Amino acid sequence: MQDRETVLSVRDLNVKFSLRGRTLHAIRDVSLDLYKGESLAIVGESGSGKSVFVKTFMGLLDANGWIDSGEIVYKGHDLTKYNTERQWLSVRGKEIAMVLQDPMTSLNPLKTIGAQILEAIELHQGLTGEAAHKEMISTLVDVGITEPERRARQYPHEFSGGMRQRVVIAIAVACRPKILICDEPTTALDVTIQAQILRLIRSLKEKYELTTVYITHDLGVVANVADRIAVMYAGDIVEIGLCEEVFYQPKHPYTWALLSSLPQLGIKGEPLYSIHGTPPNLFNEVKGDAFAPRNPRALKIDFVKRPPYFEVSPTHKARTWLLDPRAPKIDPPEAVQKLSTEGVLGYE
Amino acid sequence: MLKYSIKRLASSLVTLLIIITVVFVLLRQMPIEGYFDNFEKADAATINAKLEQLGLNDPIPVQLFNFLKNLLQGDLGNSTRYSVGAPIAGIIAKKAPISIKLGVLSMALSLMMGIPLGTAMARGKGKFWDKFGTMFIVFINAVPSAVYYIFIQLYGSTALGISMLFDETNYLTWILPVFSMSLGSTASYAMWLRRYMVDEMNKDYVRLARAKGIAEKKIMTSHVFRNAFVPMIQYIPTSLLYTVCGSIYVESLYSIPGMGGLLVDVIGRQDNTMVQAIVIIYSCIGIVGLLLGDLLMGVIDPRISFVKKEGAR
Repeated sequence: MQDRETVLSVRDLNVKFSLRGRTLHAIRDVSLDLYKGESLAIVGESGSGKSVFVKTFMGLLDANGWIDSGEIVYKGHDLTKYNTERQWLSVRGKEIAMVLQDPMTSLNPLKTIGAQILEAIELHQGLTGEAAHKEMISTLVDVGITEPERRARQYPHEFSGGMRQRVVIAIAVACRPKILICDEPTTALDVTIQAQILRLIRSLKEKYELTTVYITHDLGVVANVADRIAVMYAGDIVEIGLCEEVFYQPKHPYTWALLSSLPQLGIKGEPLYSIHGTPPNLFNEVKGDAFAPRNPRALKIDFVKRPPYFEVSPTHKARTWLLDPRAPKIDPPEAVQKLSTEGVLGYE
Repeated sequence: MLKYSIKRLASSLVTLLIIITVVFVLLRQMPIEGYFDNFEKADAATINAKLEQLGLNDPIPVQLFNFLKNLLQGDLGNSTRYSVGAPIAGIIAKKAPISIKLGVLSMALSLMMGIPLGTAMARGKGKFWDKFGTMFIVFINAVPSAVYYIFIQLYGSTALGISMLFDETNYLTWILPVFSMSLGSTASYAMWLRRYMVDEMNKDYVRLARAKGIAEKKIMTSHVFRNAFVPMIQYIPTSLLYTVCGSIYVESLYSIPGMGGLLVDVIGRQDNTMVQAIVIIYSCIGIVGLLLGDLLMGVIDPRISFVKKEGAR
């Protein structure tokens, strides 16, 4: 893993938003290396900043948000320095493409499916006319849509949710990006469709040699698709490691809590585990470990000083004082231990 | 689509027939003075003879049937007081063209001003054009049109160095009335377009379009504007057709010999046959406008389907 080529490198990124005269610190000193051809999952609860984080790669922050400091290096360029539309247009779609959460609303209702895919093909593959049309049909076949000629002439409302998500994926793939970001690609879909869509993204990743980033709060999704997992909490990556490492040897108390709340790990007859309290208010400056107030077994230092990253293995690191040699030994909760010994996860 | 159109057309015809019947029956309840230009001096025999001649002594259903029969041949009856004995169709044919010309021009002008204004407002939400446009819209809606119409007439005619009155042969004099008439619709086009565009701009498909690398300008024209204009298209036939009716105030201000004020005029003079004809024409216009609007929407918006789908979704 270490010798892999880095495609995108984020260093000490800070993102802030201005809301009703107050400043919200949405991303706090986040660093991340994205390796070529890997599949990274960013997990975290709503509001943890995972969507905001990836939006910065494409310059798609809302108008009231800005990058306060840090850098995002892609192909030798610092994307945080981009300020004109032209610069961003050289990245959006062409280099990094995105699949949005809700397929019911992410297609233009008044344009045919074909036209919407063609738009991407003409823009990024430089094809026109007959050649572009052929490419569009073959993209539809790629994403598993039958009768592509007929379907291309139809409008989004004539498609089911799962089919629309296939079209959204087709649009993203038609841009021929290097990196594909899937922002909760299955959240709005039926459970029966979810696995199909994930399988589709995975097969397209192989075919087009994409690097994929999944954003999700569903650990079941993660277990199926990710090589690496980054756990986000309160605008910070608190733990990152290979899929097995994060699932079977988690180190951060937040990761423990997240895993314990998996329904699969619940004991029949007992209430499901849930994390008490709410995430910290990012309008205020967070002191110490952001998760400490919700962590029943937090150390004193957790409230005072923000932990640095401690390396567990070359691929696995976590931001928790528990990994400090001086820290008392605290065992992960029972459910997490059970997970490491039994390994029960995933749909497949 | 065809089946729906025919059905829709048939129901429009029925509506129209009901309106004609109601209007016709109501107007038969009016005092008979309206059919004479010298009622006070006429004796009973003359009056009766005239009523007989006009067919007004027949039972109402018979009168209605005769009226409808004539209507099919384009005969709206004759005026009884406004212009004694003259066919109403002829009177309207003389007056309508000038109103239509002015109306179409003013509508074109308001589209030409309202669409760019609304677009600029939506694009720069909270910025100069948005504030300017909001001010304009509030002004137009809050100040009675009579006030600014008069100012436009006063200052406009001085600035252009023309007479205050309308002269069909001098195109310079067309400017002020057309401009005055266009202001109201300009404000409403701008307001609705801004609103619909802002709605569209916040939708996910715009975010996706941006994420796939489409330039902002292109997103605005080929996605946002196009989609925002669809709900507006429905009202365009109606407002176009209503231009036929003319603007009472502008036409009287500039002494334009158009349709505006004609209805008020003939009601005042109790010219029953003309009231009836004009009311029927107006309702025709309204019904046809709505019909065209609906059909146009059906052509433009693919989500509107006129065919019942089997097992949709």
